Amino acid sequence: MANTETVDLINEKAALMRRHVVEMGFGAGGRGAHFGPALSSIEIVASLFFGIMNHDPENPTMADRDRFVQSKGHACLALYSALGEAGYITKEQMATFKGDGSFLAGHPTRNPQYGIEVSSGTLGNGFAVACGMAKAAKIKGEDHKVFSLVGDGECNEGVIWEAAMNAVKYGLDNLVAIIDRNFVQLAGTTKDIMDVDIEALWRAAGWDVLVLEDGNDAASLLDALAEMKDSSNGKPHVIIANTTKGKGISFMEGSLNWHARPMNQEQYDAAIADLENAKTI
Amino acid sequence: MNPAALDKLQDWSKAGHRTVQADTLMMLAAEHPEVVALSADLTPTARLVEFKDTYPDRFFDVGIAEQNLIDFSAGLALEGLRPFAVGLAAMVPMRPAEQVRAALGYMNANVTVIGIEAGVRFGPLGNTHYAMDDIAVVRAIPNFTVIAPSDPLSTHKALYACIEHEGPVYLRLTGGPGYPVMYSEDFDFQIGKSIEYRPGSDVAFISSGSLLADAVGAADILEDKGISTRVVDMHTIKPLDTEMLDKVFAENKLVVTVEEHSPMGGLGGAVAEYKAGVVGAPKQVFASLGDKFQKLGDHKFLMKENGLTAPDLATLAETNL
Repeated sequence: MANTETVDLINEKAALMRRHVVEMGFGAGGRGAHFGPALSSIEIVASLFFGIMNHDPENPTMADRDRFVQSKGHACLALYSALGEAGYITKEQMATFKGDGSFLAGHPTRNPQYGIEVSSGTLGNGFAVACGMAKAAKIKGEDHKVFSLVGDGECNEGVIWEAAMNAVKYGLDNLVAIIDRNFVQLAGTTKDIMDVDIEALWRAAGWDVLVLEDGNDAASLLDALAEMKDSSNGKPHVIIANTTKGKGISFMEGSLNWHARPMNQEQYDAAIADLENAKTI
Repeated sequence: MNPAALDKLQDWSKAGHRTVQADTLMMLAAEHPEVVALSADLTPTARLVEFKDTYPDRFFDVGIAEQNLIDFSAGLALEGLRPFAVGLAAMVPMRPAEQVRAALGYMNANVTVIGIEAGVRFGPLGNTHYAMDDIAVVRAIPNFTVIAPSDPLSTHKALYACIEHEGPVYLRLTGGPGYPVMYSEDFDFQIGKSIEYRPGSDVAFISSGSLLADAVGAADILEDKGISTRVVDMHTIKPLDTEMLDKVFAENKLVVTVEEHSPMGGLGGAVAEYKAGVVGAPKQVFASLGDKFQKLGDHKFLMKENGLTAPDLATLAETNL
């Protein structure tokens, strides 16, 4: 069981990251941001960066670092906010999000010195690349782990299943995929767009599958991630984390309207008020 | 190169490019522990059974899954390995074109994609198995190098150049059994540096891939008629050897680009793009596959159909001079 201190730290970091998401997304003005899919992922990314992964912002390319591959690249604000909190990027750099000439695009661009391992945004590819990275670690006899954040809508992509089968073939038990199952994709709910039992699909592909009923709960995430990180059962691991799209901002939660859009001043004020209220609860 | 290659040229010529690349990958693997090879259920076709048996831990068959072939290779490359992903030219850069762009080009990954049986080499298998547009697709992707070697030794040497090269490479192979030996001794092969195969001042054939032999045959015909003919082995299509092109444009009266590819976006397109900015450059004609799906037929039939035999090339040059 994760200790209270770590759970508190993750929750504290998650609150700060949500604030960064809102600030960066609002700062992008009319260029907008993928608020909903970043906010659903916050506890997952926070648990990895501040509880689970071996990494060092002072030495971002150290050989034995655990790798984090954000396959659902549109939710880049979850990653950027973690990189900011961890010290990979500065507040000033965060403020350039989506700006002309910024290295923080609307989808991550590989930039290992700032902690961005893989370019992503065309869905499915980050996960498949992560599988190759996990295989490379096996070939080289290195002990680090590879974590990849995947969207539930992203599981529509064919390459996800090409890579999922291949990961089982090569016994990539040093790989942990986390599906951010927020039940909403761009044009509708996952049920409306492609109503499939992804749990059954991952099991059928041969993965070690764990379903988290509350994927925004730090304690259960930490336990699940720690268990899978330490497991060497010959199978790649996937945590299907049931989350809430837009988590933490009342008018975004579960909404089909906040996948990606600009935020106006009124909405920003309301979002900040939500985050401030959460602190006092 | 591996010196043993020189002893294998006749065998390689008989066997064709599949064997050349497979044997060379074996040599590279023996010399470079970071070399790994991948295929998408084409191991025997790509002549990689020996590689698989010799290096079972460094060979990966990802199944019939070209998108993952590319992404998985990229992941291996980002961690320091040197993947060579082998597949049919009709499929390996085309089916996963988006992965080739995002995972290889965009991340500048050290992956060599080997497209075997490029052009219309697959003859009777039909148009789904022809690669007539692969150069155009890959050439448009930043960071990519595109190489179409002309013979067994240049194929071997191109692969040795790939292992030293930073960034993704598409190695496009033509030249089936009967792959003409154009280089029987060691020579200087540099990516981006073409080879003046023979000098000449009237016509210039600029050739890529195994059609070099036909361009040389055409040059023989023209020389017999008193038409001085230069032949350039433009083995690297990207980056293009503009220094050689400047020389050709200054000294020759007609440029004929020769390739087993669509007239759009391949070697001919690349030369024309550069030539557009050269004042006073000579006329260019395109010897290529037409902008069309092909009739069914064996390779020899299709070369004739598309005007890519030596006599056809000579006639094309003579009538346009």
